[in-house]
Amino acid sequence: MPVQCSSCSEKRAVLKRPKTGHSLCKECFFWAFEEEIHQTIVSAKLFKTGESVGIAASGGKDSTVLAHVMKVLNERYSYGLELMLLSVDEGITGYRDDSLETVKRNQQQYELPLKIVSYEELYGWTMDAIVKQVGLKNNCTFCGVFRRQALDRGAIMLKVDKICTGHNADDVAETVLMNVLRGDIARLRRCTTISTDSENEGVVPRCKPLKYAYEKEIVLYAYFKKLDYFSTECIYSPNAYRGYARTYLKDLESVRPSSIMDVIHSGENLSVREGVKMPVQGTCSRCGYISSQKLCKACVLLEGLNRGLPKLGIGKHHRFHDKILSQQPLTEEEERKLKAVDF
Amino acid sequence: MLLCQVDFLPQWRRAAQKCVCTWRSCEVLACLQWLCSHPVPVSFRLCFKDFFIHKFKAVLGKNRIIFPGEKVLLAVSGGPSSCSMLRQVQEGLSQKANKKLRFVPGVAFIDEGAAIGQSVEERQRTVAELQAVFQATGFPFYILPLEQVLDLPASVVATNPSPSEQPASAYKAAVHHFVETDGSNFPRPQEPKKTLLPRVQESHTLMLQQLLGSVKTLTAREELLNTLRQHLLVHTARTEGYSKLMLGDSCTRLAVKLLTSISLGRGAQLAQDTGFSDSRYGDIILVRPMRDYSAKEVAYYNHLFTVPYVVIPSVDTKTVDKASIQRLTESFVTKLQTDFPSTVSTIYRLTSEKLQTACRKRSGADGCDRCLLCLCSLDTAVGESLTHTGVTVHITVLHFSFIYKQGCT
Amino acid sequence: MPESWNLLHDLGTGLRDRANILAVACIDVPTWRSWTTWVTSVGFRGGAELLFNGVKKHHVTLPSQSEPWDMKQLLVWIQRNLLKERPELFVQGDSVRPGILVLINDADWELMGELDYQLQDQDNVVFISTLHGG
Repeated sequence: MPVQCSSCSEKRAVLKRPKTGHSLCKECFFWAFEEEIHQTIVSAKLFKTGESVGIAASGGKDSTVLAHVMKVLNERYSYGLELMLLSVDEGITGYRDDSLETVKRNQQQYELPLKIVSYEELYGWTMDAIVKQVGLKNNCTFCGVFRRQALDRGAIMLKVDKICTGHNADDVAETVLMNVLRGDIARLRRCTTISTDSENEGVVPRCKPLKYAYEKEIVLYAYFKKLDYFSTECIYSPNAYRGYARTYLKDLESVRPSSIMDVIHSGENLSVREGVKMPVQGTCSRCGYISSQKLCKACVLLEGLNRGLPKLGIGKHHRFHDKILSQQPLTEEEERKLKAVDF
Repeated sequence: MLLCQVDFLPQWRRAAQKCVCTWRSCEVLACLQWLCSHPVPVSFRLCFKDFFIHKFKAVLGKNRIIFPGEKVLLAVSGGPSSCSMLRQVQEGLSQKANKKLRFVPGVAFIDEGAAIGQSVEERQRTVAELQAVFQATGFPFYILPLEQVLDLPASVVATNPSPSEQPASAYKAAVHHFVETDGSNFPRPQEPKKTLLPRVQESHTLMLQQLLGSVKTLTAREELLNTLRQHLLVHTARTEGYSKLMLGDSCTRLAVKLLTSISLGRGAQLAQDTGFSDSRYGDIILVRPMRDYSAKEVAYYNHLFTVPYVVIPSVDTKTVDKASIQRLTESFVTKLQTDFPSTVSTIYRLTSEKLQTACRKRSGADGCDRCLLCLCSLDTAVGESLTHTGVTVHITVLHFSFIYKQGCT
Repeated sequence: MPESWNLLHDLGTGLRDRANILAVACIDVPTWRSWTTWVTSVGFRGGAELLFNGVKKHHVTLPSQSEPWDMKQLLVWIQRNLLKERPELFVQGDSVRPGILVLINDADWELMGELDYQLQDQDNVVFISTLHGG
């Protein structure tokens, strides 16, 4: 019982769109998918003509589809953008080195320049070395914080005006749920914005052109277009708590496919009570990166690694910031608490 | 359910530690079974009881929303939480003068038997059971079959002007006045009327079932039921001269409701849906005084002090987890709560401390851009997600209201 | 469906040769046909193959039975015969775990009746996990 495409009513439909419930054939799906991203880009005014844009490329499905679609749309609608790929090498043997191979192939397929920045050259530590010191408990904190900054540093080296990341609708909805579960109102308010503003120096504005694209459609787009992507889980196990939110979101989607959009819509429309304290953004007095504290998270984490006190940057230890800045040693008692835990 | 996993809220725990009684091991209470077979020390019982009622009065006192002598309608579903609320009000009213609750309560129960296809006999039985409970309180009570919603005037879905804003000092003055006059000028609770389940026309039952049946998914049906229920309660409060409506949602319930609201796209409305007070109806203010109690605290209290409650099946009873978004969220929160015991309190604190409860800026004095059904301000103009969504709850809800109006006229 | 079969085959070998882990596992077909032996190819991609020993291609034949195979039965069969570890990551209840896409002859199974779809001779079924990587 082949279903006909509800748009062209000529060809056989290949998928049912979760957002709208429409059944579309391959060509109509490609068109609708690309057009929607175009709409997102245009209505949110993500780019200006002549800008150079770095596409954060991990080799995974989202960034591969993002790179492909950006290239297609840039040509189709003459955005006049100069696109390039920007990758971060965390230094994870058996994971990132493989996925970077994918990115290198993408570079050739799409004929885009590629820049790879590595944790090792930026921080002097690979993730493999970090895990050796801190264990598998807080390693994702290090990786996340370092990656964020690494992308910015890479973007500055490449002299791009903007970075676009492959966050899709599922990711955004999942983050909304996570922040609700954590009661993190500041992030809850920030996480649904499609682009960060460029007020802060040393930070390149970011945007998420795939914010309204369902993961399901991204995967199918990559599959039908035969895009070359990499899909293994990071060997240093992912965030367990995030897993709960993800499972819940996927269950929601199977009950009512529009749920993902509904969650994003909710996140966009939460009204925060006046007088709730929001962190004030300043700059790190060591590296100049944005930070709500005297030192940015990356600098504190790095200091912890270099002093052999990996827990220095985990949790709230603002009181140590002055000591770190003046390069004073910590007391024995303090050191004892910040040493790696036995595991 | 092990009670050793009891997720006493932090303030609870603090109070338990301060507790002067010798029996301090509140945190290591074994489990309900253990409790059933062992006598709980009397001192702890008293302490627990005091603390429970204290919390109830404190939340009302802090928010200064219910004025002395005001008529307050308690919405009692028959479940543990709302029955516990009824008990707190009873206890509060019978305490000594200076600690006394000073409002005039009434009780409303909505019989939703039609929605779950119960027979008339079954419905009569439930009602009789609850009637005994209500009669024992001595408060006036109203038994409302859900079918009555079909006879509601269209004015239910209008926001009535709220009585002029009272300055903060007004509350103090009112309390002072009440204490001086010993409350003699204020209306006394009326004599309980004899009410059985009012006769329901079979055609009405059918019509209601048709209305509910026209909604395809269980998710939407539950939302519709919520809305109908609230309309009937508000209408009853209005016609019987009550100005506040007390709902018995516990914080566990509210955490589920909050997450459900997020998943249904009601982010803009959720502060109103789950906050302590909700003034969307203008003249009738919804109050949720049980929001500081977890479901386990309530269950424990009900067990210790033999609070009667009735188990009434609802539309999602005995359904699988994925039957509806509400059901899915409930099981998700429950599971997460067992793994991370702070889940519920973290979620519910979002609304109590961080989200805005008051209606957002109203455009124009009449506030015309409100949802016809839930009366919250519309959020359809903002954000891009809407243009990307085929169906959002709000639009779905508006569709129900169409059916609803047809049913009314 | 020789066309889709080829596509699957191309993807399987082509991508593997380029050290891509998007593997395709196929249940290979016997060369003869009968009314009761259903010839189906099954693929696992996007990380789903990791649950199947990482094996990219299986050679199996679906056993004969009197009535046609449907997807529900196929899932049970896969679980019993192909799945190597952690069934909870692949199935949930009697369907696949949310987040795993199913394509029947390269079309979304939501269009084909999902679990009730009756397998035809030479059908090609692909499971794609959406849950890995970004």
